[in-house]
This record gives sequence, C-alpha cells and structure tokens, in this order.
Amino acid sequence: MKSINDYEIKPRDVADKSEAHSIEKAIRLALDVETQALRLNTQTFNRNKYKTVKRLDDYDELKGEARSIKEKSIRELPELIAVLTKKIESRGGKVFLARTGREASEYVRDVCLNHGARLVVKSKSITSEEIGLNHELEKAGVEVAETDLAEFILQVSGEQPSHIVAPAIHRSRETISELFRRSFKMDRALETGEELTEFARLILRNKFLSADVGISGANLIAAEEGTILLVESEGNIRLTTQLPAVHVAVAGVEKIIRSKKDFGVFIELLASSGTGQALTSYTNILEPPLETPILNLNGRDDSKREFHLVLVDNGRMAIRDDEELNEALYCVRCSACMNSCANFQAVGGHAFGGECYTGGIGGAWTLATTGSLAKASFAELCTGCSRCVPNCPVRIDIPRLNSVIKERLIKTAGGPSLQQRFFGHFSELGKLASLVPAAANFATNFPAMRRLMESAAGIDRRRAIPRFAKKTLAKEYEGYRRNKKGGPRSGVSLAKTVLFADVFTNYNNPNVGMAVVRAFDKLGIPIRLSAVLDDGRGLQSQGMLAQAKRRAIRAAQYLSQLIDEGNDVIVAEPSVLSMFRRDYASLLGDAELSGKIELHSFDPIEYLEKLRLDGKLDVIGHLSVSSHADRRIFYHAHCQLKTIGAGSVAAEFFRRLGFNVDVSDVECCGMAGSFGYKKKFYDVSKRVGDDLMGQINKTLSDDRSAILLASGTSCREQIGGGMQKGVLHPIEFLESMLP
Amino acid sequence: MQEEKDNLTNRFCERAAATGAIVERVPRNAEAINAALIRATSEEDVVLISQPGDVDLSLFGPFLKNPKVVADPTREQLATVRTGVTDSFCGVASTGSVCVPILNNLTSAASMLTRRHIVLVDSASIVPRPRDVFSKEYVNGKGLSRSFSFITGPSATADMGPLVIGVHGPQKVHIIVLE
Repeated sequence: MKSINDYEIKPRDVADKSEAHSIEKAIRLALDVETQALRLNTQTFNRNKYKTVKRLDDYDELKGEARSIKEKSIRELPELIAVLTKKIESRGGKVFLARTGREASEYVRDVCLNHGARLVVKSKSITSEEIGLNHELEKAGVEVAETDLAEFILQVSGEQPSHIVAPAIHRSRETISELFRRSFKMDRALETGEELTEFARLILRNKFLSADVGISGANLIAAEEGTILLVESEGNIRLTTQLPAVHVAVAGVEKIIRSKKDFGVFIELLASSGTGQALTSYTNILEPPLETPILNLNGRDDSKREFHLVLVDNGRMAIRDDEELNEALYCVRCSACMNSCANFQAVGGHAFGGECYTGGIGGAWTLATTGSLAKASFAELCTGCSRCVPNCPVRIDIPRLNSVIKERLIKTAGGPSLQQRFFGHFSELGKLASLVPAAANFATNFPAMRRLMESAAGIDRRRAIPRFAKKTLAKEYEGYRRNKKGGPRSGVSLAKTVLFADVFTNYNNPNVGMAVVRAFDKLGIPIRLSAVLDDGRGLQSQGMLAQAKRRAIRAAQYLSQLIDEGNDVIVAEPSVLSMFRRDYASLLGDAELSGKIELHSFDPIEYLEKLRLDGKLDVIGHLSVSSHADRRIFYHAHCQLKTIGAGSVAAEFFRRLGFNVDVSDVECCGMAGSFGYKKKFYDVSKRVGDDLMGQINKTLSDDRSAILLASGTSCREQIGGGMQKGVLHPIEFLESMLP
Repeated sequence: MQEEKDNLTNRFCERAAATGAIVERVPRNAEAINAALIRATSEEDVVLISQPGDVDLSLFGPFLKNPKVVADPTREQLATVRTGVTDSFCGVASTGSVCVPILNNLTSAASMLTRRHIVLVDSASIVPRPRDVFSKEYVNGKGLSRSFSFITGPSATADMGPLVIGVHGPQKVHIIVLE
C-alpha cells in the first residue's frame, strides 16, 4: 500500500494553487494516501460536534450572540486596536502593529535576538505560518521548536498543515510511526499512540526547560482588559506562555473584541464546534506580562517578564472594506466548516487549501492574506452544498464567499469557460433539447461527442449526462389536466398550491413533478403548475452571480405574485427550494421579498406534514395498504435540504406510516449538482460517494427489497450510477401508495 | 437554595469524572483534607504545593507540615517533580472544569510541569457554566480580574492517531471537592 512517506508528490509542492495543475496533483496525493486518516479524524470531530452542541440548549442564541459581537468588533476595529494598545502598554507590555507579514516576522526576530535567544518554543499558530515566522527565525540562527504535537510532526515531515485545528489530521498513527523511525533513525518503530506521544513529549520537555522565548498565537483578544484567550489540549500553550520570561503573541487584528465579558460565549462555542468537546483541557485567560514567578529552569537569570503582542494586518484591513468578503473576518478558526464538508473529509487541506489556510473558509483567507486570486482557486472545491452553514458558530455564509471568489476568477479569466457556461445555462440547453429530446440524448451521450465535451469543456465522459425527457413536465401536466375533468380539485379549503416547474424537474424529471401533482390531487389539495423558470442555481454554482441574480429576481417576482394570490409554492428539487429559502436572502438583497418566498415555499413531503400538524390532513387515511411494518426504506436527505431544516421530514413521515427507515449519515452525496461531472473533480466526487454507497449496501445486505429514496436529482444520479437499483423521490414513492 | 447548590455540585462531579479526572468529595475541615491529600500522594516522595490563595489557608495547615511537601523548590526539583497540589477559585458544573489562577506563587508550576495535579475546589464556588466565570454575579467577579486557566480533565492529544491522555500537562487530575 502506498504511504505518504514515500509518495512522489509532496504536500509542500502542491500548496500553492496558482501553479499549473497544482490542484489536480494535490487531489491525487490526497486520494491516494491521505483520505483514510482524514475521514476517520474529521468525521469523528463532526459526529462529536453534533452530540456536544445538542447539550447546549441555547446553541442558536449563543451563535447569534457570537455573530453580533464579531460584527461589532470588526466595525469598531480601529478604535479597539487603540484601546488594546493603550491597555497592554499600561501594564508594561509592547504592541506592534505589522502592516505586512514580513514586518511582523522581522519584529519577532528582533525581539528574540535582543533577548539573546537561541531556542524558541512555539505553540500552534496559523498566523505564524502565514507570516513565514519559522523561516525568518531560523535564518537568524534561532532554533524553533514546535511544541503542539501535530506541528511537531509537520516540522519533522516538512509538510504544511492540512487542517487549522489538527494540522496533521491527514496522517495515521502508522505513517507517523514510520516517519519517526526514519527521521530519528530508530531500530524499532514506536507502535502505539502512547509510545509516540511519550517520545515527542520527552524531546519537547527538554526544549521547554531550555527555551529562551515562548511564541503563541491567540484565539481572541479583549481590548479593554488586554486579555488573551488561548485554547488547547496538550498543555504546551501553558508552558510556552509561562516558562520563558519572554512571551510573544502573534495574532491577526481580527481577533480583537471589545471586552473579556464576551469570552464566555466563544469559549462555550469554540471547542464544541471544533473537536466536539464541551471544553478542551485548557482554556487560558492571560493578562500578560503575567505575575507568575520566572523559574529560570533554562539556567538564565531573567528577572523581568516581557510581553510583546504582534498584531498582523497583512491584508485584513483591506478585506474589511470588501463588502462581499469581509464576513470572513468573523471566523474564529474552529474548523467546523471543514469537518462538516464532505469534500474536505475526502481530500483535506492539502488539496482543499493553500499554503496555510484550508477548507471552505480558506479561500477568502488565502485571497485576503496573499492578494492572489489564483492561490485561492481551490475555492472551486466548494460545491455550495451548504453543510458548513448551520455548523458555523458565527454564521458565516461560506458557500457565498466561495461563489464570490469563483465570480472573480471568471472575471480575471475574461469570462466564463465553456464548462461554466454549459452548467450555468443548463436551462437554455434543456429548452433546446426538449424540442428534440431523442436527438439531444443521443448527442450528449454519443461517444465522439463525449470525448469532445471532455476535452473542450472538461465534462467527464464517465458520467451520463442527465437525460432529457420525451415530454417536459409542462406538456405532461397540460395533457393530464386536459384528460381529467375539472382541473385541479378546488373548493376544498385545505390549501392553494402551485408546483414550481424548475429546470431539472421540467426537462429531466417530469415524472417527479407529475408525482407531486397526482399525489396532491389524490389527497384533495388543489395544485397547479407554475411557468417554467430558471431559479438561478446553475449560474450561481458556477460563480456567474450577476446573471444568477437577474434570473433570481425574475423568478422571485413571479413567485411573489403567486403568493399574493394565496398560494403556497411546492418545490420538488431541494437545490431549488434551498435557493428560495436560503440563497435568495443574499442574492436578491431584498429582505422583504426573500422573506416572503422563504415563508411560503415547501418540499412536498414537508408540506403534507405541515397540513397534518395544522390538523387539516392525515395521509394515513388515504393509503391503499394500512400497514407497512416490515418494509424497509433507505433515505438519503439532500445536503441543502438538511441545511434549510427539512432534512429529516421524509424519514419521520415514512416512519409514522410504519416503515423501517434507515437514514444516510453523510453530509453530501458528492455529486453536488454539476461538481461530479467535472473531469477535474470526478475522482473526488466518486470517493465522497463511496461513503454513501457503503451505507446503502449495508441496508441492502440486510434487506434486498429495501426501497431507496433520495430527494435531489443529482443525489439520485450519484446513487443510480453507483448501483443497479432504482432510486425514487420520496413523493414518487408516496404517490405509488395512494389509490 | 441548598438543593440547587447540591445539584450543581453533583453535576460538577459527574461532568469532571466524564473528562477523566478523579473526583473526591471531602468535608470542609483540616483533618479530612489532610487525610485526603495524604492518600492522594502516598506514592510520591516529593510534592510541590503552592500557597493557596482562594481556599482558606488554615485548611491546608496539617498537610503543609508533611515532610514530603516542598513549598520552596530548587530548580532541579521543579524540573523533575511529579505531583503538585493547588487550589482553584471556582468549578464549572456543565463542563467539570476547575479555574486555576495564575498568581505570584507556584500554582502554575504545580499544575503545568507535573504529571499529576491535585486540585481543591470549594463546592460553594461552583458556577453553572463557563460563561458565568466572566460575570460579576459569581465568585465575587474573580474571573474578571485575573489570569487563569479553565482546567478540564488531564492533558490529551489525538495528534498521534488515537486519543492519548497525558501530554505536556498532567496525565492525572485529581479533584478534591470541599463540602
């Protein structure tokens, strides 16, 4: 089996994503030798996170509070910097505001040299990576000992972090053991986690006892009290900040908040969002220079504590003025967005990341701190699945940040690529194809055509292009109503509804749309079909935001009118429903309009549940068979459906009907709209899908007749492509049970 | 009121045990505390102790006279000592944490350089959740006026693959709850 220790591509060589083919190579590296460890570790964090936040009964309020504290702090930042500087200086500490990374690392170097330092102990700090601190110190002849065990591993392996909280998360115990055996020339490899830890601990204990200077980062800084918050588990931060007489803290300016009183909110959110612990072993609240005695275990005779706070700007104040991206400054570096990201779980931060910032939030940060869009191009690995959104403790709309980066990349490239136009304008394609569906299907899946699409547009030929239906939903619906007397049943006071004819349902899956119409008819709910409209999702996902917005406005105005006429809007395709319920708020920039649409749009099953809870309708009374006690369902909820809070509705619905329902435990199926069709990302998409396939197979091995349900069209493609069994939309299955 | 306090103490003990700490409930008097500390340090030859700043000093009286106890250690002793005893100014019920101050004494040394940290916490000082430590209403606002660490169980890492207890900080945390 291949190991990262021998692999031909080294993480450092593919860190800079502005270099040609860097991302493809990084993906290969990750999929070949990192995925297994990455998945195990990120998924453990992710599971524990869900468990831990469940215990916080005011989790949502805490998030809201954290968000508003950060908003206020960033707004008041220049004033807070002044308040903080004054406070630290009043206690005898020094504050240095570095405009660039270079200024920052040179300042720290000078502090060390002035103190006659030969050895520095350092705790984990992404900001110090950003400013190239170790290199600067080593150049000046100062030895740097990374004391966080993950950073220690990376210092030995020469790799960059693959995760902002657990930087060596891409390595398994076995590969660390082999790395140590080679690097420290051991006769016998250390086997267990305990042995490896003890080995590193003893080396680092000696470093701690002889270090001249300690360098840390900071999780947050309170301006009024000059207090630093540092969160850790290993105990290395306590030693770094308290043993040497000189402590240097390096932190981005965005870490400043006004008051220590607000630390409590972040302390309760940080560890629970990140590693899924209520608190990590040590949460340090420091007001340096500290009064704890200088022990001089290093043999020196230091008599006075020194404290230097290096505040790093390096692009942060500029991004603060960037209205589309300044939200990134609210990030508290908890890593929840990475752990809840299906793509990140599979490829980690060496592929989904740059030279130091990783994951969904990493794109905006790479752009902010390097000024290079090309270096931030790994933002393409964000599919917009949105699972990070409800997991972010400061409610950053990370997919939105990545759409903006994609849009700017398109602008610098002089316009969208053929691939982006293909997926962005799928609605036009559908319209054309619907005129001659057979020919279109033949053409789009004809081998020579597929080769051309692959070479010209990067659309992977191993994927089947969604087939265009012989008859669109609009035509099917028209025929259906013509043959049935009386049109939509009316006169029943249940509710007035319109099925939104989205692009995919209309051109590719009219059967799903018709299942909604028939089911609602059979249940006595009047339903009509809307005009066929593009909601803007396709364009948005490619980063073509201006065009997406124009279409969104058109669709929104139309929906608004329907709602004013007393209709609720039923949406079968979750990615479209998610546009209405989530994305329109930022895309339209019209809170009243988006708020109205959010309130009145529903998934079909969700809507039936709503009618039941309102006491208007119970589906049970309408079923053809009264008991389904022995029947098994495997249900995969669409990623975006989960984010808008409708992810578990179908499972609960069928359970109530008596079914035995297994629910997928993956954040996303990996297809994620157009993502899985792109040649560059085909392997990532398939690997992400493996997780889901494994779970489905487990259910099927228990019960071969289990029914597979998935709400999203691309989820059904992904599952259908991976197994030879039909996958239904939940409403199709329900409709089949109604007489 | 008393019932509420008891609930808080029970919750604290339960959560602290879940973090991997050893938790012991002891009556708030010098003899009982002395006996608990003697038991807890029975395997040690040298015990580093910091002058208590929050728990009443007289409660430590008998143990401070114990021949194992070093209150004024040499550099050599500091670099090798395995067990430290400190007090704390509050406990946190929802997380099982103790708040150990950073003062002009050996509290930090005894709690960060050692392999085993024995820490006393007064049950009267237990607050419901972490954010309460930053409030004037609790523990006389001590959390707002000083440097300190929330200590939540022993030091730990998952960086080498599996979860390992005991890294740079103590491997064992022994909490003595005074009631």
